[in-house]
Amino acid sequence: MLGIGQKFPNYSLTGVVSNDLEKAFQQFTQDSHPGKWRVLFFWPKDFTFVCPTEIAAFGKLEKEFKARDAQLLGVSIDSEYVHHAWRREKEELRNLPFPMLSDIKRELSTALGILDPEAGVSQRATFIVDPQGIVRFVYVTDLSVGRSPEEVIRVLDALQTDELCPCNWKKGEDTLKAA
Amino acid sequence: MSLDTLRDSIPDYARDLKLNLGSVLAAPGAPGLNEKQIWGVAVASAIASRNTEFASRIETLAAAHLDEAYLNAARAAAAIMGMNNIYYRFLHLVEDAEYAQMPARLRMNVIGNPGIDKLDFELVSLAVSAVNGCGMCIVAHEKQLRKHEVSREAIQSAVRIAAVIHAVAGVLEHASAARPEVAAVAA
Repeated sequence: MLGIGQKFPNYSLTGVVSNDLEKAFQQFTQDSHPGKWRVLFFWPKDFTFVCPTEIAAFGKLEKEFKARDAQLLGVSIDSEYVHHAWRREKEELRNLPFPMLSDIKRELSTALGILDPEAGVSQRATFIVDPQGIVRFVYVTDLSVGRSPEEVIRVLDALQTDELCPCNWKKGEDTLKAA
Repeated sequence: MSLDTLRDSIPDYARDLKLNLGSVLAAPGAPGLNEKQIWGVAVASAIASRNTEFASRIETLAAAHLDEAYLNAARAAAAIMGMNNIYYRFLHLVEDAEYAQMPARLRMNVIGNPGIDKLDFELVSLAVSAVNGCGMCIVAHEKQLRKHEVSREAIQSAVRIAAVIHAVAGVLEHASAARPEVAAVAA
């Protein structure tokens, strides 16, 4: 599995962004959100039980992620049409404020090393990727275990909290820590 | 409302401040600073001086000299230094070096990406630190500016603005509280 400090792989995936079939699909790549942090979280299959609750929980916190300059991206190996059907079908997903990407060729999941060898689907993995495209956090749970979006926010806060101010200057130190 | 009208609302007992305000906010009275820096420092110092009415008047005047990004950066400097001056002043004063080893765990990302020239943001932050009275913050920001070859004259100009703005904010606050008709006339 891809670890901390490694470059997040490139991708070009179709995402579902709306219930309206006319404008439901949009292409997303590693360059779609310049200057932003990315939070990519994977789930095994659409239309299963744990998933909608968890995805909706991320959706509820979307504003919190946005305020932290982070773009949420949900991913599974289902096709964009399945995502679209699920989005329209499930009430808690209807107004989902972030794209659901389709890794239908399993290339991204494979590159990340999160394709479950038994089930052949993505494991429940979460990656925080910094604006430079570097993996800064990895979080994977067993297929049956849900995860906590609050924990992801907490980690994002910690990653973004640098003491950038020269006020933090200590005697004998005269440079700004971060450029 | 013009700067003159604003100056006219300063009571006579503070005539020195009235005259100083006129001088430090004009280029000849603020050597080393360009117009944007003058007004950026003025806005942030006014916000830091906690007289909301005066601060919004200064903001209105500044809008003629600053674009929205600069105006926002000045507000952002007042905001973030309102936190940092308190936190780091504590670290500087507490006489227990252990605290400085503990991560602040405070977001201050705007400093890394203020939306205007970083040195301008430093200059404005220095002025706010002067208003808020954090000694080591003053030392640190002044060092940064000097390291990047900002002149002492320019730094002094920024602090002169901060000092006058702070004093005027206090006087106008008192004047409007003591004599409501002064506030009415000034408005």
